[in-house]
Amino acid sequence: MTVLREGALELRLPEGVQGRKFDDRDHGLSHCMKAVDFIVEDHDQVLFIEFKDPDHPHATPDGREAFLKELLSGGKDDELVLKYRDSFIYRWAEGAAEKPITYCVLIATSRLDEAMLLARTEELKRKLPVEGPASGAWKRRIVSNCGVFNLKTWEKHMTRFPVERVG
Amino acid sequence: MTITRIRFENFTAFKKLDIKLSPGINVFVGANGTGKTHLMKVVYSACDISKTKMDLAEKLIRVYLPSGRAIGRLVKRHRTSTRCAVEVYRGKTKLRISFSNHATVPDSATVTGVKEWTSRPIESVYIPVKEMLSNAPGFHSLYSQREIHFEEIYSDILNRAYRPALRGPVDQARKRLLKNLQKLIDGKVIIKDEEFFLRNKQGKLEFTLLAEGMRKLGLLWLLIQNGTLLNGSVLFWDEPEANLNPKLYGPLIETLLELQRMGVQVFLATHNYVILKEIDLRRETKDKIMFHSLYKDDITGEIQCHSVNEYLQIHPNAIAETFANLYDREIKRSLGGSINDSSQRGGS
Repeated sequence: MTVLREGALELRLPEGVQGRKFDDRDHGLSHCMKAVDFIVEDHDQVLFIEFKDPDHPHATPDGREAFLKELLSGGKDDELVLKYRDSFIYRWAEGAAEKPITYCVLIATSRLDEAMLLARTEELKRKLPVEGPASGAWKRRIVSNCGVFNLKTWEKHMTRFPVERVG
Repeated sequence: MTITRIRFENFTAFKKLDIKLSPGINVFVGANGTGKTHLMKVVYSACDISKTKMDLAEKLIRVYLPSGRAIGRLVKRHRTSTRCAVEVYRGKTKLRISFSNHATVPDSATVTGVKEWTSRPIESVYIPVKEMLSNAPGFHSLYSQREIHFEEIYSDILNRAYRPALRGPVDQARKRLLKNLQKLIDGKVIIKDEEFFLRNKQGKLEFTLLAEGMRKLGLLWLLIQNGTLLNGSVLFWDEPEANLNPKLYGPLIETLLELQRMGVQVFLATHNYVILKEIDLRRETKDKIMFHSLYKDDITGEIQCHSVNEYLQIHPNAIAETFANLYDREIKRSLGGSINDSSQRGGS
């Protein structure tokens, strides 16, 4: 079983599913391209996974507060979008952008309730964007779907990919 | 001294309830039929009679309008004879009323603690869900001269709004509040022959031509300007969100927080997530806020109240549950079940 780790959070992949930490040294273009934390090759789709951990044990109360404020006012949306798009381009250049991609963002704090998660999910959908232009010019989507989760809703909706806080 | 506690026994929807209150903002949440408005009306009545010296039973009849003015109809319905009691506290001072379900006239009620209660009058104002200022011309005199079937809160709010501006200099906090509200409503409210107008550079605009949300903010401006809302006053506001554009919720909550900091005790009943969240996000550490969740107990079916100091501790929270349900459905639609369905394919 593959276990991927980002800071104090661990993601477990189901048997037979491959995944890699994407924003590590092997990326090689981190000076000019953003990257999501993990790319997971599921059977008929790919998951781009990004973890944000404002409740990290070493986070200061001020830092936590500032992060949440920025997140709630939409200030983190652009970063999340950029990470996705750059990762998508990187994969395309690798010749590996065939399967539909789902973008899953975990904001590991209990201070985000479902109303806020819903607002962030909708905003991310609009900005990625999940839908192409109204003209219908796009023949395919650049992202199949996306969702923003806290630990509780991740556990509920992403049962095959349990996340645990370690350390 | 603010209202510190309320107790109910067999009153309207409540079998037994004992709620400790914040001297600052008290937010009541709960599904329809859990008694939020009933609760606020009773405390308002107690505050109002401290000034008017009206008999509390009479005030309750006027505010609740039980059929045939029979006060006994305010007793929680039982098959047997029942007596109800309501107690409103200001520290150790207690105003108490009790009556039986057979009581038909106000005199049958027993009211105790009136003398001490009325020796320190409380300024109070109840803003009902329905906006009233645009219906003001004529209503005021009609209500005072004729028996019309309108809860007295509607006439009371007009009485408060009609008060002339307070004499003397306006302190900085009030000035700031008035200025902020003026910015939002783009003008000042004036009254001419019982009619309310918004006056700005363009001229005078009748309240009937004004968006309903703006009328509400205009009312708030009036109540601050004429000194109804001052240190020691109590404000009751039933669903402040009604007819107000969500973008105005933030400034509205900011105003209420400021009033609280000035010493106004506030009671709010709301069904709205944004109102709750605005309070949560805008509050400062020193702000005194309590959230009271009214709910029907699963086993007894009776209304209970769970009071907490933090937004995230509100339980049960019917408003957040609704959003949780929407979010769950959105995520299920987004992920289409594909992520977790894959396990079956992966496992086979």
